[in-house]
Amino acid sequence: MTDQTPPLPEIDQPNRSALRNLSVVWLVPVLALAVALGIAWQAYSDRGTLIEIRFENGAGVTAGETTVRYRDVVIGTVEDVRFSPDLQTVIVEARVENEVLPFLDEDATFWVVRPEISTQGVSGLSTVVSGVFIEGAWDSRPEIATRSFDGRESPLFVLPGDEGRRITLNVSPGIQLQGGAPVTFRGIQVGRLEQPDLTEDGLSITVDAFIDAPHDQRITQATRFWDSSGFSVSFGADGLTLDVESLASLVTGGIEFDEVYSNGQPVEGDAVFEVYESEEAARASAFDVASIGEVPVAVEFSNYIRGLVPGTQVVMANDQIGEVTAVTVQSVEIADGSKQRLVVDLVLDPGRMGFPVGTGAEEVYEYLAEQVADGLRARLATAGLISSETRIEFAIDYDARPARFEVAADPYPVMPSVMVEQTNVNTTAEGVLERVAALPFEELLSQAIDTLASIEGLAGDPALRDVPEEVVALLTEARELVGGDETQAIPGEARAAVAELRGILAELREAGTIAALTSVIAQADEAMGPITEASAVLPEVMANLRALSETAAELEIEALITTANTVLASADAFISSEGMAEVPANLSASLVELEALVAELRAADVVGSLNTTLASTSAAAEELPALVERTDAVLTRINTLVGAYGARSAFMGETMDVLREITTAARSIAQLARAIERNPSSLITGR
Amino acid sequence: MMTARSAGLVGCPNCGRVHDVPAPGRCQRCGWRLPGHAPDRSLQRVWAWLFAGLVVYIPANIYPMLRTNTFGRTTESTILEGVVDLLHHGSYGVALVVFVASIVIPIGKFFAIAYLAISVERREMMQVHARHRLFEVVEFIGRWSMIDVFVVAILAALVQLDFAATINPGIAAISFALSVAFTMLSAQSFDPKTIWLDGDMRPR
Repeated sequence: MTDQTPPLPEIDQPNRSALRNLSVVWLVPVLALAVALGIAWQAYSDRGTLIEIRFENGAGVTAGETTVRYRDVVIGTVEDVRFSPDLQTVIVEARVENEVLPFLDEDATFWVVRPEISTQGVSGLSTVVSGVFIEGAWDSRPEIATRSFDGRESPLFVLPGDEGRRITLNVSPGIQLQGGAPVTFRGIQVGRLEQPDLTEDGLSITVDAFIDAPHDQRITQATRFWDSSGFSVSFGADGLTLDVESLASLVTGGIEFDEVYSNGQPVEGDAVFEVYESEEAARASAFDVASIGEVPVAVEFSNYIRGLVPGTQVVMANDQIGEVTAVTVQSVEIADGSKQRLVVDLVLDPGRMGFPVGTGAEEVYEYLAEQVADGLRARLATAGLISSETRIEFAIDYDARPARFEVAADPYPVMPSVMVEQTNVNTTAEGVLERVAALPFEELLSQAIDTLASIEGLAGDPALRDVPEEVVALLTEARELVGGDETQAIPGEARAAVAELRGILAELREAGTIAALTSVIAQADEAMGPITEASAVLPEVMANLRALSETAAELEIEALITTANTVLASADAFISSEGMAEVPANLSASLVELEALVAELRAADVVGSLNTTLASTSAAAEELPALVERTDAVLTRINTLVGAYGARSAFMGETMDVLREITTAARSIAQLARAIERNPSSLITGR
Repeated sequence: MMTARSAGLVGCPNCGRVHDVPAPGRCQRCGWRLPGHAPDRSLQRVWAWLFAGLVVYIPANIYPMLRTNTFGRTTESTILEGVVDLLHHGSYGVALVVFVASIVIPIGKFFAIAYLAISVERREMMQVHARHRLFEVVEFIGRWSMIDVFVVAILAALVQLDFAATINPGIAAISFALSVAFTMLSAQSFDPKTIWLDGDMRPR
């Protein structure tokens, strides 16, 4: 529409210019135009720049609606969704704000955010209602900006701006991993896995892991990764172990890492790590890369050993210090023909042995030579209880014959070895059983049974049972004798007799009656000694029997216990029988009485009154032989009794010996039991 | 038909005092500016408002009229898109009303006013009576063009249901309102007397 200014009418003020005739209202369209143009310009300049993102499919991406976001802030809108000329990809054209344009360089990536429910959590839920959006990520360094990008199919787990370190992990096919799975360090998530991918040869799986700063400092040469997903059940010397990591890693898989030894050197550049199947395997692998040098050593064994192959561990104090490199059989000439011997070549790692970096072989040899002089030997050992895995162990053997570390040997210095029976679990268990079987149980038992049988026989012997009765009877008789009227009358009679004796003093002196009496009494005194001794021994017998029964009970050997119980029951019955208990008391009492009697006899002014009553003793003298006879009889019976005890004392010595043997045997069994109790592993390891 | 102009007279629009032509600039009784003294000014205003209305009518059609936000989805639609959408949904009646009110009438008004303004200078185009009727129609119908703006205003005021549904007016709503206002002013500025000027009185 042209601006047609109306023609000026004829007016009476011709001096007015055309410009001044213009109405002020014209300002309105001018203003409107200016505003409209301004808005148009602003809209044009604000509309951003068109970028191109290629996706494999355009699921949910709608032109005009789908937004492009960065850190969840809308930075643009999709304007067009079309195909590439070959229909192979979907090209999404989006207009993004100019503000972010300088950052859209090579490392910028885009992916479509869709609702996702996984073990990692629920993400993109808002897209369920609002539709998908395209998320972009790039670092904070503006580089050469581009306008064309390849979109990702899966979300980026590590944003380009994240601080940290990217490492590559080689995963053996058995380990299940998913992109986004956590990488943990002692249970704390410090990184994420990206999408696992097959290697070019298709033999293994490689996955990039991103370790967030500052935990990426922990990635050193000493770092080992292992699969922490799932759960592991292991059975070992410690018993059954069930190890379950977090539930998330149970489902999606997870990687745990740790430094398996200290002072690991920092890793430079793109590091590739192996993922081990278990923590044990990872820690055991410390030798793989940790080596700071290899020192070759040879060990000779005199017989062939099963399970010794290259790669077998060499351990010292349960730490791996090296491994077997070669196993060869050599034939050596000896006095009577030739003999096969096994030569095992090892390499030792000075670093694992505690030497500082840069230690040469000479220092290691020097150290080994010193240790060998102190008894260090190479020997074979098994790695564990169940495992039949053999390993070579460097250990001090104090019983070893003196040997030298042959530094000059060719090709490698030779480490002396000691033969140890292969202590795998079978031979160990067998050895234990053999040792148990070798215990002289039967001998011990038969001996014990014999002993107890003889004790039983002794206890059951009617003669022995009669002993107390006999003793009691004897004592009764003695008491009767002493308490008898005749005996009681003796002093009176004696007094009378003394009076009578006075007369026959000379006769009496010649007869030597007093001396005879005194010797009889001395004899009786002598006889008392063994009786007392025997009595003193009895409680000891009982104590021994109890000890035997106790040790026997500990052994829990039925036959022994039964026999011992019966024996002891009868022995107890015997010992606790009334008569037996009374024996010592009765004996003492009777002896006291006897002594008193004799003392009385002595003290009754026999000598003094003898002189005065010698004359009147002739009558009484007739009775003396009877008295002497009876005293003799008593003494004979006492002697018999004492004799019986004397005979028993030999038997008792035997019994004591047997009991002592039993006690010794029981003590050694107790010692064995205590030793096993103290060190049960010896049962297994055989050491 | 005899007109005041042809009789060489002009009336004061304020007090009605009749002056001779050529009249003084102002009414000799009340001092009011006498019409016909500078008829070009009236036409200038018509053209200016018309032009302004046209200028703002362009963004009113390019920019979205409504910004509808339903469950996170934002839809923007211009006037024409709205009409097409309504047609797609089968609401032909409403589509027709919107189309007529938002597009036919404003554009018709532009043409009508432009025609009237031109016809004042070239008097031979149409009968004065027909032109006067056209002017009346334009003036009457002018306010009804605002129906679109009213719809937008009411919707924007009522539908504010947060996440479920929100309707906001777009730039086009303001532009359209301005456009309608400007064209109304343009029509108002038009002095219908100019239709009858100079006694162009051809009998029917």
